[in-house]
This record gives sequence, structure tokens and C-alpha cells, in this order.
Amino acid sequence: MAANLQQQRTINEQLRREVGIPRIQVSEASMLLMQYVMEHESDDCLLSGFTSQKVNPFREKSSCNIL
Amino acid sequence: MSESALSASNANANEKMASLLKEAENLKTKLEEERQKLNDVNLSNIAERLEQIAYVNIKPRKVLKGHQAKVLCTDWSPDKRHIISSSQDGRLIIWDAFTTNKEHAVTMPTTWIMACAYAPSGNFVACGGLDNKVTVYPITSDEEMAAKKRTVGTHTSYMSCCIYPNSDQQILTGSGDSTCALWDVESGQLLQSFHGHSGDVMAIDLAPNETGNTFVSGSCDRMAFIWDMRSGHVVQSFEGHQSDVNSVKFHPCGDAIATGSDDSSCRLYDMRADREVAVFSKESIIFGVNSVDFSVSGRLLFAGYNDYTVNLWDTLKSERVCLLYGHENKVSCVQVSPDGTALSTGSWDYTIRVWA
Repeated sequence: MAANLQQQRTINEQLRREVGIPRIQVSEASMLLMQYVMEHESDDCLLSGFTSQKVNPFREKSSCNIL
Repeated sequence: MSESALSASNANANEKMASLLKEAENLKTKLEEERQKLNDVNLSNIAERLEQIAYVNIKPRKVLKGHQAKVLCTDWSPDKRHIISSSQDGRLIIWDAFTTNKEHAVTMPTTWIMACAYAPSGNFVACGGLDNKVTVYPITSDEEMAAKKRTVGTHTSYMSCCIYPNSDQQILTGSGDSTCALWDVESGQLLQSFHGHSGDVMAIDLAPNETGNTFVSGSCDRMAFIWDMRSGHVVQSFEGHQSDVNSVKFHPCGDAIATGSDDSSCRLYDMRADREVAVFSKESIIFGVNSVDFSVSGRLLFAGYNDYTVNLWDTLKSERVCLLYGHENKVSCVQVSPDGTALSTGSWDYTIRVWA
């Protein structure tokens, strides 16, 4: 019982802390997420591709060899 | 204690418990109200003006074959070239992902190595699983690796995930004993334990570009918790999933997290708004999600499913961009390379694939 009480006290403390944290509007958070993505899209090779396949370290090596 | 005194003390404890439970209920209602107050629009509405992602040029590039059973976890080396993988076969393999060569292989005295992680220096790996332990190996010759291994910490159930938070000196682990723990590598001392989940901890991730004091955990109790590593406290808790949370990952901006669950959905939670801001699911997707990771801008979320596919989600528009086919069994782990140029996927089909 004492252990359960202690556990529940910990849970309540956590909930009290959580209720008190500062929050922003979802619209504002969404704008910030979008802004971050926009600023980093050009560096995102999996999204935007490579400027040239030559710089892709995982590309297949050309099968044509100069003899 | 006399019988009457004992029953009085019991009654007293019951009363205290009842009042604590009532307070908890009130606090939960209040928390939900506070979160709802600021829920003015949807992220996907805000992102409507963005152009759709028309085409993603990601192709299968490499297949890493060598494990003799299910691949359970992989991790990219900080050098962006090597990959470590751990398997049900009890082996740990270090691959050169450029050439597909196996550079090292270590057999552990356990099967189901559920987690493996490179140290920030790239000179050590931490791993463990059904042995309940986190073990560190130096990356040298195979013989020396086995000889110089060191057990750092032990849980009371399987270790499901591990990560180096700041340096080679500390390891953070998550376990089936429903706790997370921070260990000192040198002394094996338990620096901090994290209690709060009521189910197995399945995944952890570290907040990026910060002082390294915040991490997230996902659990079979269907929750994702944000923790303060110093105090050991839960700072924020996110619910919404209908089943086990198998994977958690920080958005590269550090202010949001993505989750993947057995309920066949992925979700995006914003920590500033303190709530779920997107759900990535489709009626046609009925299989569980084992692992998620973001592309470096955070626009794409890669998710590995039990139906052998990897789905690419547009995190802003909440739309599926495309699917990656190739694996012949459940996709257990997905991870974008440190520079964001490639994606590794591990599967129960015994292989690891690299996409770029």
C-alpha cells in the first residue's frame, strides 16, 4: 500500500508539472515545423535527390569500362 | 500494532489513495483542456499551400547478406560508410556499406541481439538483447573484440534499445523491465534510472543539437515520454496510439517527435504545442510499424512495416509519397545515414538494404 501511494504521488507530481508547462498554438507550431523543413530541403538528398549522381556514394559504378 | 489501530491505518491509507486518484483524474482533465485550447488548426491545413512531393528518386543500391536469422537492429557509423547490424542469430556484423564487405563479425553468448549502437567516436559498439545486458566491444580485430568486451549494465528483463547520449563514456538503455537507464561505461555504475512507463520500453531517441539532456521513449503502454536526463523526470507525455509504440524518433528540428506503432499508424507530436499534430495512416495499411526515421529536413518520414514494405510519408501534408519494395519479410529497422544521403533497412528476411 505504501509503495502504491508513493507511486501515485510520483504520477501526480508529473501530471502537475505537465499541466504547468508553457504551450503555443498548433498553427504557430505548424508554421515553425514548415519553416524548418523549407530551410533544410535543399540539403535533403533523399527528398530532393543529388545535384549529380556522381556525388551519390551508393550509386552503381558504371558498367562501361574503357579498355 | 493493535487490530483496531491497523484497520484505522489501512482506512487512512485508502483515503489518501482515493484522494490522490481523484486529483490525478482532475489533473488529466485539466491537461487535456489546456492542450485542446490551443488546437486551432491542423498541420495539414497549414501545409496545403505547399506543393506536393511529386517524385522521390530513391533506389535500392546495396544488399548486405550474411546474417543467418532475422536482422533486429542496425546503426550507421559516424563515418557515414559503415553499418553495424545485430541479429537473432546472436551475431554482430560490421559492414562496409559501399562495398558490401563484412569487416568484422562477433558471436555473442546470446540470441536475439535486439539493439546495437555506435559510439560517437566510431571506435566502440554497444549491444544487447535477451541477455538483459548492455555490452561494449572495441572495434579492432575479431579476436580482440571478443576478448576485450565489457558488460556495462544489466536490466531485469531484455534490453530493447541503446544509444550513446553524449560521449563514449555513457550509454542510455531501454528495457522490457519498463525502465530506461543511464550507465557509466568505465565503472558500469548506474547513473540514473527512469521510471514511469507501465509497459516494456521498446525504443529511445536523443534530442538533436542540444546539450544532450533530453530523450524520448516509446513503450508497450502506448505512450511516448519526453525525459529530462538529469532529474530523471518525465517532462511531457504523449498518448494517442491504440497499441504498442515500437519506435520513436526526434524531428531534426528537435521540437517534435514521430512514433510508429503496432496500431499501423505513425504519429507526429509537437513538443511546443504539447500535442499530436499529425497521424500517418491509411485504411489499406493494416500492419504494424516497427521503425521510423526522418530525412534530414524532416519533410519525409520513413516507416518500416510488418507487411515487408517501407512507406514514405510527407510529414507536413500527412500524405503517403511512395512505397519501397524489396524485403521479403517484416522490416524491423530503418535509419537515415548521418549525412542524410542514404537509408538503411533491416529485415526478418536476414538482409540489410541500402537505398539512395
